Order: sequence, then structure tokens, then C-alpha cells
Amino acid sequence: METFGLLAGGFAAALTPENLLWAFIGVLLGTAVGVLPGLGSAMAVALLLPVTFKLDPTGAFIMFTAVYYGGLFGDSTTSILMNTPGNSSAIATAIEGHRMAKRGRAPQALATAAIGAFLGAVVSTTVVAFFSGVIIDIALRFGPAEYLALAVFAFLATSAVVAQSMVRGTIALTIGLAIAMVGIDAQSGAARFTLGIPSLFEGISVVTVTVGLLALGEVLHVASRIHRGGHQGASPVNAGGTPWLGRGDLRRAVPAWLRGIGFGLPFGAVPAGGSEIPTFLAYGTERRLARFRARRGKGPDEFGDGAIEGVAAPESAASATAGTAMGALLGLGLPTSATAAIMLAAFQQYGMQPGPLLFERNADLVWALLASLFVGSVMLLILNLPFAPLWAKLLLIPRRYLYAGITGFAVLGVYAASYSITDLWLLILLGLLGFMMRRYEIPLAPVLIAVILGPLAETELRRALAIGQGDVGVLFAGPITLGIYTVVLAAVAFVGIARMRARSRAAAQEETGEDAPVG
Amino acid sequence: MTTHRTTDAAQGAATATGGARAWWRGRSEIFVGLLTVGIGAFLAVQTASMHVPDNSASPGPQLFPALVAALMIVLGSALALQVARRPAPEPDDGGADRPEGAGVVGDLVEGESPHTAAPATHSDWRTVGTVLGSVVLFALLLQPVGWLLSGALLFFGVAWAFGGRRPLFEATVALVYSSVVQLAFVAGLGLNLPSGILGGVL
Repeated sequence: METFGLLAGGFAAALTPENLLWAFIGVLLGTAVGVLPGLGSAMAVALLLPVTFKLDPTGAFIMFTAVYYGGLFGDSTTSILMNTPGNSSAIATAIEGHRMAKRGRAPQALATAAIGAFLGAVVSTTVVAFFSGVIIDIALRFGPAEYLALAVFAFLATSAVVAQSMVRGTIALTIGLAIAMVGIDAQSGAARFTLGIPSLFEGISVVTVTVGLLALGEVLHVASRIHRGGHQGASPVNAGGTPWLGRGDLRRAVPAWLRGIGFGLPFGAVPAGGSEIPTFLAYGTERRLARFRARRGKGPDEFGDGAIEGVAAPESAASATAGTAMGALLGLGLPTSATAAIMLAAFQQYGMQPGPLLFERNADLVWALLASLFVGSVMLLILNLPFAPLWAKLLLIPRRYLYAGITGFAVLGVYAASYSITDLWLLILLGLLGFMMRRYEIPLAPVLIAVILGPLAETELRRALAIGQGDVGVLFAGPITLGIYTVVLAAVAFVGIARMRARSRAAAQEETGEDAPVG
Repeated sequence: MTTHRTTDAAQGAATATGGARAWWRGRSEIFVGLLTVGIGAFLAVQTASMHVPDNSASPGPQLFPALVAALMIVLGSALALQVARRPAPEPDDGGADRPEGAGVVGDLVEGESPHTAAPATHSDWRTVGTVLGSVVLFALLLQPVGWLLSGALLFFGVAWAFGGRRPLFEATVALVYSSVVQLAFVAGLGLNLPSGILGGVL
């Protein structure tokens, strides 16, 4: 088969000492930022982006994807031991995982999470490698209207569906679109929103936006509350003991891992803002199944005091989305999570455009990348299975050095990307914006998705309208666009109704004087 | 919650200024809405007065900005209204705050969510100010003074804001940090950081 040959070539490239080193650095870094609460792979890749300009692109992307996968492995460690999920993808894992840890089964919970993440990553990467041909075939059928529909899908899925509040989510989206419009319009040459400042003519760099929002914004946010209590008192649960899963554990974990992968695979390819939805769907399903089993007398329902299924399924779901998210990024040029969005920016910095043509023009890089995903997953399993308690020691780093170091890297990265002091002032403004958004719980992912997909959406909109000679109907012609818009509308309506119901339920509870059930 | 509101109202009746302050408690997010409206208005004005080259194709450079500006004005007003009608819960109001993070997805699957952190109701402006001041100082000093010193100063400032209390020790850590970065990125990766006043020495 052709795929085997290509993949073998990819492995030959990925297994060179140099690329192995980049993968290793990436998984170390990714696990580290995953373990540290508040940091994530998106921020790590954003900080790495400027300092890796001088690297060969293959090495750089191998490192980026290793960071992406590593972040998913690492944040389950903190969630289980400390109940402080660093990323939204680990919230579901924390619920049962921390209870397992408190019952003295921390090693088992960590092992379940690590193996689950490994299985999810390997299965989804395999799927992407063997279905890349299909993805490309679909992508080649896309015209301007279809790409616009996909971008709109990504916008609404991240801002209106996943975000807690539709208004806040869509405000974040428009902020991102506004940032993306600054600069000289490529099609007409008109200067837009530059206020006559020459260094704004080229637009605001994606590096500045991501580093400002994710890194500096986070530092300011933590600074605003570090002296007001918070996490200082929390200490990790002791995780000593061998990470050995008994036969009874395995019998329950294996089907849960597989079901989790089943939830993760389709969601990675859909621009719905990462792995929140699949992890919670996987968690909810396991909980319902356990209740069902208990009712029929076929085993205990341990949910509530540390069920192994509640760790296995969300964890494999989260890493399965990462794999298919890479597929959507490479094959369609469509970022489906914040980290993927920054990687798309990285491709653009190197002068490459992800999408069907990438597989033709940069086939070597793509297959080396896919092969290195397998290599990275194996490295991560080795690094995380026996050494998870060791990683938890990272939490002992004094916070002041951690955040001082991050701030240093943020300014260094932004300055090194363009050698311009104006970008440092923009960084400060964007950091304040990120701080404000965190304070009011306005989601950040829509801003990033909008900054990166905004120009694409505008170009395709104008192209489609130009083809249709101003007829708006051209945007909704064709089965693919109609299908995409139908799914978007259905999702928005579904979430809107569910949210209204939840609100009226909460209001009813408030009236009867009951407290809303919390955690 | 109701008791809180009534006491707030009582205080408000006592003095006009106290009343205004009580009303703003939990409603500071209105400024976010107004800011959004402001940005939208700015975009609208700039779009209307944009200089468009004559040869541009029919959906020109003004269509998309006009759409975004309209959206921002509508959404910003919606947020301001929403917050005015339903303010954020009081910090001590136990049951009223919703678990963070799980969001609607958590609601949909009846999931539970761990307590990540209490919702931010107060900000420690002094710490934020120190961090922000350090970054501003860095932006001002980088070119004249060079990375080695301005980077160390930035590190020191942030570490100090986060609770470092041994000046000499923190300063040493900061200098080690900026030197390591200088070695790794300038000597190792070939980045071009300004050397500033130490240019002759290095």
C-alpha cells in the first residue's frame, strides 16, 4: 500500500538523531507545561514559535506536535494529584481521578490516564495517516463558499457553542476579527485601522497576539490574585507505589479507553474548540453505563468515589481529538483547537499553507511529522508511566521564578520575532486584554481562532461574492455549504435551548431556597 | 442572596454615592461591554472614512470591517444590558456561583466539575501594577541598556511582585536567568538581542 511506503519514509526521517532530539525536547516541555497549572501547550508553542525561526521546519514541527501531545499527558497528572486541571481537556479526568488518588489509588489513576492518552494518540494518528487520502479528496472539492462555511463553523462552534456564555464568546470572536483586520488589505491595498503607524501596516503578528493573550495575560491574572489565597495551600496527594493495573482494573479500563477514543476521533476533526465536548461526553457516558450496570447487578457503580472508567474514557478521548485535530490541520488547513491554530500560524511563518497541497508540496515534512507523532507517543508513555510522581515535583518550583521566567520568555519571543519595540507595546496592550478577558471569564480560544481564520474568511467571502457577482445566495448554494450551515444552526439552537432550560431550573431552585448542586 | 441585596439597597438609600458604589458591585463587567461598543464605533468610523483605492474589486475592503463593527456594537450593548440586569454573584454567596470550566457541556451531560478556583471578584492592583511596570520598564530600557540588564530587571520585578523578599538573592537569580538566555539564544540559536551599554564588554 502506498501509505505504508510513505509512512516508512516518514519514520526514516523521524528517527534521525536530530529529529529524535527535537521530539524528546518537545515531549519534556509539553509534559512540563501540562503538569504546571495554568500553562498549556498553546502557550508553550506560542513562546517557542519566535525562537525556533532558525530551525529547519521539520524539526520545529516535530517539536511543536510533541509539545501538543505532551501537554495532554501532563495535565492529567496535576488533575489527579491536586484536582487543579491546567487545561479544559483535563477537567473531566480530575473528577474521578482525584477521588481515586484520595482513596490511595493514585498510581493506578495515573497509569490509567497515561495508557489512555497513549492509546488515543496512537489510534487517532493511525486513522489520520490512513485516511489522509480521503481528507484530501474532500478538501479538493472545496471552493470559496465551502471554505467560508467551514470558517463560520469554526467561529460559531468555538464562540457560541463551547463557551459558557454566547454573548461573551462572540464578543471574543469579534475582538479577534478586529485584530486580524489591522494592516494593509492584501486584495485592494487599502490601509485599515493602522492610524498611520508604519509598523502596523503589516498587521499585528500572530505571535504577539498569542503570547500577549496566553502568556502575559496569564501572568497578570495570577498576579492579581496570588496574594488572595488560592492554590498555595494545596499540596499534591502522595503518589508512591507501583503503577500496576490489576486484571479487574484492566477489564474495566479497556472498554472505557476504546469508548473514549470513539468519542474523541470525530470531535478532533470538527472545529469545536478542542477536547472539552468529547471528554465530557465520554465521562457522562461512562457514568450512565456504570449506573445501568449497577442497577442490573453486574458490578458496582463507583462514580462519586473514584471510578477507573471515569479516568480512562476522558483521557483517551482527549488525546484522540489531538490526533484528528492534526489531521484536520494538515489536510484541510483548518485549526480545531487553540494549539492547532498557533501551529497553523507557524506553517504560515515558514511560508507553507496547510491543506491538500501540503501533502504534495511538502510530503516529506508531513510524513515525517506523522511518524514522529507515533515516536512521541511512545516517548510520552515511557516518560509518564513510571515517572508521573516525579513530574509532580515540578509543582515545587517557586511560583515567582516560574512566572518571572515566563514573562522573560514572552518579551524575548515577541522582540525576537520582529526586532521591533512597537511589538512590545502591543504585547503589553494585548496582555491587559487577556487579563481583562480572564477576569470576566471571556474565552480566549475564539480570539485566537478568529485572528488566524479571520483573513481566510474575509478573502473567501469576497472571492465567493465576486464569483457570484454580488449575489449573496452563492454563499449557500451547493450541498456541502448547506450541510455545514445546517449543522451549525442545529448546534447553536440545541445549546441555546439546553442553556435556557438549565437557567430556568436554576431559577426554580433559587426560589425554593435550595442551593444549586455544586461539584 | 436576597438579604445581601436588601442591605445593599438600604445602604444605597442612606447615601447617594454609597448607593452608586453598591450598584456597581458585581457589575464592573459593564465596562467590558462599553469597551466593545467603543471599539465597534471606532471600527465603524474608520471604515466609513477609509481611503479605498479606485481599482478595487466590488466587495471591497470595507464590507467585512462593517460587518464586524456592527456585530461588536450589538454584542457589546447586549453584554452591558445582561450584566446590568444580572450582576455577578457576591463573593461570599456560597451556592450562587456556578462551577467554572465545565460550562454548558458539563450541564449537558449532567457532569460535575471540580472547584478550580473561586471566581475572581477582586484584583490585587498593586501586584498587577508591579508586573506591568516591570514590562513597561523593559520595553523602555531594552534598546539603550541591552538584554542582559533589562531582562534581569524584568525578572527581578516580576519575582518581587510575586512575593520574593530577599533582594540580593532574587537579583542573583535574575542575572543568572538573563545570562543563560543570552548564552542559549544569542550564542546558541543566533537571535539578535541588543547588547546595549555592555556591548563593549561582551
